[in-house]
Amino acid sequence: MTQGQAAVTLQGVTKSFPVGNGRDLEVLNIQGLELSTGSYTVLRGPSGSGKTTLLNLMAGISIPTTGTIWVDGTDIFSLPEPRRDRFRAEHIGYIFQTFNLLAAFTALENVLLAMMFVPTLAKREQRQRAEEILGNLGLKERLSHRPHQLSRGEQQRVAIARALANNPPFILADEPCASLDPNTARVVLAEFLTLCREEKKTLLVVSHDETALRGADRILEMTEINRPAEPS
Amino acid sequence: MTIFAVALTYLRGRLVASSFTAFSVALGVALVISTFLLIRGIKDGFIEGTTDYNLIVGAKGSPTQLVLNVVFRIDVAPPNILHTIYEQLQADTRVDLAVPVALGDAYQGFRYVSTTADYFKNVPWRRKTFTFAEGRLFRNDAVEHPAYEAVLGAQVARQIGLNRGDQFYQGEEMAEYPLTVVGILRPTHGPDDRAIFFSLASFWGMNEVARQMTVKPLTAVLVRPKRLSDLPSLHREFNVAPETQAVLPSSVLLNIFNLLSLAEEVLKMILGIVALVVFLYLFVAMYSATLERKREVATMRAIGARRGIILLIVLLESATIALIGGAVGIAGGYGLAYLGAQIVAARGGLAMNPLVFTPLQFVVLAGVVVLGTLAGLIPAILAYRTEVAENLAPLS
Repeated sequence: MTQGQAAVTLQGVTKSFPVGNGRDLEVLNIQGLELSTGSYTVLRGPSGSGKTTLLNLMAGISIPTTGTIWVDGTDIFSLPEPRRDRFRAEHIGYIFQTFNLLAAFTALENVLLAMMFVPTLAKREQRQRAEEILGNLGLKERLSHRPHQLSRGEQQRVAIARALANNPPFILADEPCASLDPNTARVVLAEFLTLCREEKKTLLVVSHDETALRGADRILEMTEINRPAEPS
Repeated sequence: MTIFAVALTYLRGRLVASSFTAFSVALGVALVISTFLLIRGIKDGFIEGTTDYNLIVGAKGSPTQLVLNVVFRIDVAPPNILHTIYEQLQADTRVDLAVPVALGDAYQGFRYVSTTADYFKNVPWRRKTFTFAEGRLFRNDAVEHPAYEAVLGAQVARQIGLNRGDQFYQGEEMAEYPLTVVGILRPTHGPDDRAIFFSLASFWGMNEVARQMTVKPLTAVLVRPKRLSDLPSLHREFNVAPETQAVLPSSVLLNIFNLLSLAEEVLKMILGIVALVVFLYLFVAMYSATLERKREVATMRAIGARRGIILLIVLLESATIALIGGAVGIAGGYGLAYLGAQIVAARGGLAMNPLVFTPLQFVVLAGVVVLGTLAGLIPAILAYRTEVAENLAPLS
């Protein structure tokens, strides 16, 4: 099934979790949401309002209880899981709040790992692209460093590079600079946004940072778009 | 990157744990390999030593003691028989070759074996051939004029450091009967490598009791009949005689093997338990490693890894540890077997060559890899079933 020109469309999406005694707790209920292609949207909301749950649904990591989600014209939950994994690798870059770099792998290897799941480039070209992205983020001298040898700002840059490795059209960033000090957060966020805007990616960033809010095409409040049913 | 490179990187990332796990696999494999090599080596050593002669004639007593002492130079010497027994066998028309043997003391742990040139005769039915690295055989000296010439087995010469022309004796009372080295044998990979050979005349000359005897003593006569069909009659004749027993080395070997097989069964059970312990160790190592990196597995899934790839990575890690441990273990097993053979030879006198390489080692290695991979199966399934969203949640 395909859908119009919007990069991402949600229709009638709900997500509930079982809480025991045969009862479910609905944490997400979004009847309609669209993100235009190439747009930059900031998502805000109090803690526990379902921001990460929403990002996980859009990334195809979590399955909605009801509803459909189209990404780049594809109903991602109509795909069998292996194809959905491949689709995610090709079309969605995800930056986690706590970086989630693989500790045993170097900065370069963390980026190459993402490319391993989308083998469209030859090995040498993969390496060149990974080095180029890391270089653009100021990590040219840190390619062979492991995460514990990098500063938090450098770690986040590696996470950004990993998300961009396969040139996905859609980037999700869950509070990308929450773990950084304010100065570093400003610098890293600015670099990240510049890169993504240059490549005309559709961005959804969960953040409360002023740098993130500045320049956003749209600011979404979770409390406005999410109307979960009251617990019974 | 390849899936194999990812597996190797994970192993490298926990290098100490991976090394210890591989080492435990290597130890287990080395134990199994060395045990089987030594058992086979012991069996081959016994077969090697007993198959040249069909009959051993000695004094009445334990057949096993006779064979072990005369052929392998293990165990205490049995009582003597008279030289006339040898003369009788030598003249017997049923006998192709009769070789007299007298075993005496030892020099620095290496047994004296006195015999004749027939012992070293190269004949078609003999499994081993005797050749000299240096020098010659001792002379066929007369009883009245013993030459006290000695031929050393290969290991004797190597370990003691005696050379051709050197003289030696054991104990002050033997000082007036020193032996002179006239020849050194090439290795035969049998008990003869650890023996010091000289003539019967020299043996009797060195022995105070034998000097007094009119009919000289022997320990045994090694017999090869002309026809195997003559064996039963020879065996019966010398068994019923009051002063002798005739022993078929093959039947003694069978008894020894029956005893060994009991020990072998027990050893197999113990080794089976060792293998199980190693398997469980590998399983626990992989299981803990998988539990520790649930978050990383969830991250890989989130960036596009299929469940099957995750499963494969864990299985490859387990298989790689097993492969490295198995290869090192096989090499270590041969090393242990070699050391064990040296110890057995030095203490028990049974010479063996356990270092026999066969394609079976590759089968063993393949088996270790398969078992090692199986040990990683449950951890791999655990990783396969990792819930992504649940394990990506921030820790605090």
